[in-house]
Amino acid sequence: MMRVLMADDEELARRLLREYLAAEPDLEIVAECGNGFEAVKAINELRPDVIFLDIQMPKLDGFEVLELIDEGAAVVFVTAYDQYAMRAFDAAAVDYLLKPFTSDRLRASLDRVRVRLREARSVRLPADLKQAARAPGEYLERIVVKDGPRVHVIPAGKLDYAEAQDDYVALRSEGKSWLKQQTISSLDAALDPRRFLRVHRSYLVNVDRIARIDANTKDTWLAVLTDGSKIPMSRGGYNKFREISEG
Amino acid sequence: MHPILQSWRRFATWMAGWIPVGAILVLIAHLSGRMSYLEATAVMAPAIVVFAFVCLSPFYVCRSLPLRSSHPFRLMMNHLAAALILTAAVMLIGRFTAAMLVPTFPGVEQRFLAAVPVLSVIVLLVYEMAIALHYAALELETSRRAEILARESQLKALKAQVNPHFLFNSLNSISALTAINPAEARDMCIRLADFLRTSLRLGERLTIPLAEELALTRMYLDVEQVRFGGKLRVVQDVNPACANCSVPALVIQPLVENAVKHGIAMMDEGGEISMSVRHDQNWMRFTIVNPFDPEAPSTGRNGIGLRNIRERLEAFYGTAARLDIEVEERLYRVTLTIPVRTHK
Repeated sequence: MMRVLMADDEELARRLLREYLAAEPDLEIVAECGNGFEAVKAINELRPDVIFLDIQMPKLDGFEVLELIDEGAAVVFVTAYDQYAMRAFDAAAVDYLLKPFTSDRLRASLDRVRVRLREARSVRLPADLKQAARAPGEYLERIVVKDGPRVHVIPAGKLDYAEAQDDYVALRSEGKSWLKQQTISSLDAALDPRRFLRVHRSYLVNVDRIARIDANTKDTWLAVLTDGSKIPMSRGGYNKFREISEG
Repeated sequence: MHPILQSWRRFATWMAGWIPVGAILVLIAHLSGRMSYLEATAVMAPAIVVFAFVCLSPFYVCRSLPLRSSHPFRLMMNHLAAALILTAAVMLIGRFTAAMLVPTFPGVEQRFLAAVPVLSVIVLLVYEMAIALHYAALELETSRRAEILARESQLKALKAQVNPHFLFNSLNSISALTAINPAEARDMCIRLADFLRTSLRLGERLTIPLAEELALTRMYLDVEQVRFGGKLRVVQDVNPACANCSVPALVIQPLVENAVKHGIAMMDEGGEISMSVRHDQNWMRFTIVNPFDPEAPSTGRNGIGLRNIRERLEAFYGTAARLDIEVEERLYRVTLTIPVRTHK
C-alpha cells in the first residue's frame, strides 16, 4: 500500500487530486495540507511514500518544504507554473505535473513513483541536491531552518553571517544561532554575491554587517561586524571585499 | 496644401510677419533708388505680397528634396535655380508696377531700376532663409511624429496581458468541478469566458470609462471567488459620480490581481480586499487595501507589474499621475491618483 500526502492551498485542487487517486487501488491518502508549515509537520510525522506538492503556498513554498523534510518520499510537484521544472528535477523530484492535468498523466506519474520507490527506497540524496539551481540573477531571499518540530524562517537580509560546522552551517541572525544541514558552499551559491561574501573557507558574511576590517597576522584579517563579532578573513576573502567595496 | 494656408489665423500671422520684411524692402528701395517713402511703398507693395506667397513655395520643393536623402549638389542647384527665377519674377512685378505708376510719380521707373541690384540680393537672401526655415520645420515634424509612434507602440507593449497562471489555475478549478458540481463548472467556464472576452476587448483601447474597468475587475474577482471560496472577501465603495471618468485601460485590474496573488492567496485564512474610488474636481483616487503575510514565501515579479503600470501612467499623464504604495504591518495599500478627465 502506497501512502500518499498532498499539499495544496486550494480546496478544489485537492479535491481533483483526491478524485483521480480514488481510482488507484493500491494507495491510501494519509493527509491533506493547506500550507507549507502543515506539510512539513505532517510529512515528518506520517512519513508518506509519495508527496504531491504545490509550489506556491502560504507559509512555505514547495521547495522550502523539501528542504525541511526527511528523505525517503517520492516527490511530485503539482503547479500551474512551468518555470520551476528545472529546479524541481534538480531537487530530485520524480515528476512535475502542470495544472490542469488528465488522470492518465497522473497515472503515468504514479508509475514513475512506483519505479522510484522500488529502486531507491534506501537511497538518501545528498542534502545539497535539494538546494537547487536558480535562474540567473535570482537569489535566495530567505533561509528555512528546522527548529525541533517547528520551522524558523530567516530573511536573507537578517542573516549576519554563516559558519561551516562539519555537515552543518551555523546561521547567526538577530542575536541567535541556528543550525542547518547544508554545506557553506551551497549556501554561498544560493545567496546574492553582492550581499554575501565568502570571506574565509568556513565563513560567509553579510556585507552590510561589516563595520571595519582589522589586520590580524601577515596574511589574515578580521572583519569586525556591527554587533562586535570578529570573523576571520583570508587573503582571497580580503581581496574580494576590497573589490566589492571599491567597485 | 501648405499648413499655413490651412487656417485663416495662421495665414494672417504669416502675412503680419511680412510687415517688417516689407518695411526693410521699402527702406532699401528708398536708400538705393532715392525714391520717396510713398513712391517706394506704392511700387513695392504688390511685389511684397507676391513675395510673401513665394516664400511658402519651398514647402513643396523641400518635401520632394529631403535633406538626408538628396545629393547635396542637386539640392543646391535646385534651390538656387528656384531662387533665381523667383527673385527675377518678384523684380519683374516691381518693374511693371513702377511703369504703371509713372503718371503719378514721374521718373519712378528709372529710380526703381537703380534699386534693383540691392533689392535682388535681399530678396534672394530672404528666400534662402525661407528654405532653411521649411527644412527646420519639416525636421521637427518628422521627429515629433516618430515620438508619437514610439509612444503608441510602447503603450501597446506595456498593456497588461492576461496572466497565464491565473488561466491555468482557473482551468484546473473547472476540471475539479466537472465531477463535483457540473453546474458550477459550467458557470465557471462562462465567468472565465466573460473575463477573457472583456479583457481582450478593453485591451484594444487606450482609455476607458472607470465603470468598465471596474466591471472587468468584478469579472476577474468572480473567477477567483470560485478558486478561493470563503478565503476571498471583497468590499467595494465607489462614488457613482466617477463612473464616467476616463482611466487607462487595464490599469486597475492588475492591481486587484496583485492583491489576490501576493496577498490573499498567501494567507492561510484568507482575508478581505477593500477597494474605494473617491474624487474631487481635479483628482480621482482609487485605493485598494489587502492583508498580507510579511513572512510568506516570495511570490516573485510583483515589482515588474507595478513598474509597468507606472510607465503607462507616465506616458498618459506625465508627472500628474501617482501610484503610491504603503505597507503597514500586515496591510498593503496601493493608491492610484490620476487627473479627472471625462471619457468621451
